[in-house]
Amino acid sequence: MKHSMMPERREGPVDPMPKSPSPEDGSGPRRPDTGSPDKDYLMKRMRKVDPKQAERYRQRTGE
Amino acid sequence: MLNRIFGLETEYGLLIHEDHPDHSPTWFARKIRDQLFHVQRRGVLDLHHRGHDEPPGNGGFLANAGRIYLDMGHLEYASPECHSLTDVVASDRAGDLLLQQALEELGFSEQVSLIKNNIDHETDATFGSHENYLVSRRFPFSRRGLAPLVTFLVTRQIFTGSGRVGSAAPQDAWIQTDRLIVPRSALGAHQVSDLSFQISQRADYIVNDFFEWVQHNRAIVNTRDEPLADPNQYRRIHLLLGDSNMAEYATALKLGTTGLVLQLIEEGHAPQDLEIDEPVEALQEISQDQERRWLVQLRSQKTMSAVDIQARFLDCAARHCKGQDEETDWVLAQWASVLHDLGDDYQKLVGRVDWASKLWLLECFREAEHVDWVDPMMKSLDLEYHNLNRQKGLYHGLLEEGRAPRLTTDRLIHLAMETAPKNTRAYGRSELIRHLLNDPPPSALDQLPAPDGLFPPYVINWSIFQVRGRAPFPMPDPFRTYLEDVRTHLQSVIV
Repeated sequence: MKHSMMPERREGPVDPMPKSPSPEDGSGPRRPDTGSPDKDYLMKRMRKVDPKQAERYRQRTGE
Repeated sequence: MLNRIFGLETEYGLLIHEDHPDHSPTWFARKIRDQLFHVQRRGVLDLHHRGHDEPPGNGGFLANAGRIYLDMGHLEYASPECHSLTDVVASDRAGDLLLQQALEELGFSEQVSLIKNNIDHETDATFGSHENYLVSRRFPFSRRGLAPLVTFLVTRQIFTGSGRVGSAAPQDAWIQTDRLIVPRSALGAHQVSDLSFQISQRADYIVNDFFEWVQHNRAIVNTRDEPLADPNQYRRIHLLLGDSNMAEYATALKLGTTGLVLQLIEEGHAPQDLEIDEPVEALQEISQDQERRWLVQLRSQKTMSAVDIQARFLDCAARHCKGQDEETDWVLAQWASVLHDLGDDYQKLVGRVDWASKLWLLECFREAEHVDWVDPMMKSLDLEYHNLNRQKGLYHGLLEEGRAPRLTTDRLIHLAMETAPKNTRAYGRSELIRHLLNDPPPSALDQLPAPDGLFPPYVINWSIFQVRGRAPFPMPDPFRTYLEDVRTHLQSVIV
């Protein structure tokens, strides 16, 4: 699809997509360490979840 | 991205944390909508009938040029037209935050949660996340032309799926076989399964390869021809098989890879030897494969893994699209990265791919608490992954811990709540909405019908608007902003 009129660039504080790590360089998100303190924080968040909330989630079908 | 307009439509669930609530989810949905339009004045409500299920006041356009409305009892947010992945991710997150902030302002945030998912485990209800891609009218919109897209869509769930506990009951549908249309059950497809976890929320609900409806007989490719633009120039590819993504990275990769595959098809470079033998069955088999081998039978009788199929599309895209713009190169690099990691340990994808994040969280919980997959807590944790409340939601927990990469900033999301992308027609529509908010027509203030009973003070649609007393203003080209034209039009003398 070719367009004779190129759209204007968006103004304002729009950062380009972050520079991507290559598959080999080992950067990017860390592999989760299941023994780290981070896991304890997430476990704490999960333990607060109401076990019955899925039963209370009564949704209608949409599109 | 080059020559592409993107849009996302998201239906949200409402979870009421009470055994016997006084109000239905729809009641809360209306309260949130009214807070946004009447109290926060984020946009202007429709004053006309948009359809049989969209009466006046059901929803409206926002100052960011997107829409919020009620659809079959669900709150739904449609992003404005976006020309970059950064904009569409920010606009999508802006929708989340608009709704969550309204909920909190109403004082309901302890009583109710907004859930950005696509299923109800208990009722088997499903609700969608729809993707829109503008393509040329010359796009080969035929079974043969769309075959590469179907193959790509069936297999992309390995990095776009949001994952779920369990599976849905068999879905009713009518399937075309040669010249006959028969009930799906007659084909013996889709037996009830007893799954612990699968990688896609929507796969169980997709029962056709091509169909034009959006509520029943959901298809891999929706065939409704509604471009919302000049029909001589454009077609809108409308997809409803995807999951709502919490991860910004997954949202960008889903839209970016699909946009590149559409470009390959438009330019005649898509691989033609990967047609899947039974795409609907393959969609569900991939999602439900507990060993994550994701093997697919092709029409050629060859068997390939979904990872290898995606690698073929990536290879084509790299050869034909690399270097065309910065976002394309980001998509190509990240596509390669996730395919590489999918061949290894799924835990490497935590934070980037939603199903991987959810599975890791659930496995951590199971291990620590010694619970089985059938424990009701697993479904409840599944829901909590999608909770938009930053203090509660499990995805937000991953974000807070720095495990999920951000592609936006909070500042950019707040900007996208209030302003439209400045390089699409959304910008011109935003100008109109601001004009109506700053200088509302008298009868629009309290949603009264037009005094003369003929025409409401304004009618706004995606590709045209009309303010009473002025001529209709068409906006058929989504790549134009129409900004100056809209300003001139609104300053013109009312006839």
